[in-house]
Amino acid sequence: MQNTVLLVDDEPMVALSLRSFLELETSYRVLMFTSPLEALEALEAEPVDVLIADFMMPGMDGITFLGRAREMKPLTTRILLTGYADKENAIRAINQAGLYYYLEKPWDNEQLKVIIRNGIERSALFNELDMRVSALEQANVELHGLRARLMEAFL
Amino acid sequence: MTGPAAPHERQMAEAVTQARLATLGMLVAGLAHEINTPLGTLNSNHDVLRRALLRLQSILADEVVSPDELDEVRRVIAAVDSIIRVNDIAVERMTALVRGLRNFGRIDRADIDVVDLHEGIDSTLAILAHELREIRVERRYGDVPRIECHPQQVNQVIMNLVLNARQAMPGGGTITISTWTGDDRVFVRVADTGVGIPADCIERIFEPGFTTRGGRVGMGLGLLICRQIIEHHAGAITVESAPGSGSAFTVSLPVHYAGATGH
Repeated sequence: MQNTVLLVDDEPMVALSLRSFLELETSYRVLMFTSPLEALEALEAEPVDVLIADFMMPGMDGITFLGRAREMKPLTTRILLTGYADKENAIRAINQAGLYYYLEKPWDNEQLKVIIRNGIERSALFNELDMRVSALEQANVELHGLRARLMEAFL
Repeated sequence: MTGPAAPHERQMAEAVTQARLATLGMLVAGLAHEINTPLGTLNSNHDVLRRALLRLQSILADEVVSPDELDEVRRVIAAVDSIIRVNDIAVERMTALVRGLRNFGRIDRADIDVVDLHEGIDSTLAILAHELREIRVERRYGDVPRIECHPQQVNQVIMNLVLNARQAMPGGGTITISTWTGDDRVFVRVADTGVGIPADCIERIFEPGFTTRGGRVGMGLGLLICRQIIEHHAGAITVESAPGSGSAFTVSLPVHYAGATGH
């Protein structure tokens, strides 16, 4: 299955630059947005493995965006790309948005590629874990049912 | 202008220089961010172009291009095409910012000059791009003649008025800048949709030290300096305000400079 990366940066030049890089160097499907609200709508409708958000955007900052995204799709990996590296925002991003990586602008493409690849693996592992847990829960329910029927049959 | 500047003129120039430095100091973080964005983009794009070139070199190494490789070449060309267009935007953004800073400082022009007022407004807005990110800016420029003035000083007035308008709208809004001409004068109006000025304050806003923004350095002199500059140009500055719906400052300047010391 093709992995999907969703990008949101209100600066079209940054978003376009990231998209061009990812399209040249990877086989990911890239969804690009300059509006956080439109990006959230897309996230609702599409399977996404990795989210990359700018910090300073009009209307909704990147941390708020990633926090909302976390509520919608908790297993998606979240990366903040920021030109404002300060401790206060880093802490807020980690606590509020459950951040996987805090990347500073100007970014390094090679580093970004590795972070995204690791992020995709992380999302896949979480998804698998989620599926296994669901399967276990399901099996547990079935086991309880069987046990109850056995009890009924023998007692 | 001939002869040495009058003491009043020198004081005025000094006050304007200080105000300009205070404004620029305040804007430095925003300006750095405004430069960092296109610079970061160019940095990344440069790397992408290098990768694209390597890709093409490797495809052409055996001097045979298979149909699969041809698709790859098309993909690389599409990426390069997109990158070049993005570079145009990034370079234009940085050029506009530097042009704005130069025009704002007018480091390369004489004290008094005949200038296009719209150029000064555009430069000021370019410098303030970062501060105005969440603000809609409407330019309603009329067909106005070039005016004879101290461009640095007039730019400082526009800067102060736009920054005041910005600060009156903490939750966002619209700044409308209109220009028109009449009676050998040019008018500039900076209107916002902000909090407005209470009726009991409106008489005092041009007084030294008047501020509603607490004790920030350099604050409280902005409008006083604006009025001094404009009166020095034999112009006028007026304000209308409706608390809750916004304020509008109108500046009028004569087309021909008739400064305080005569001309």
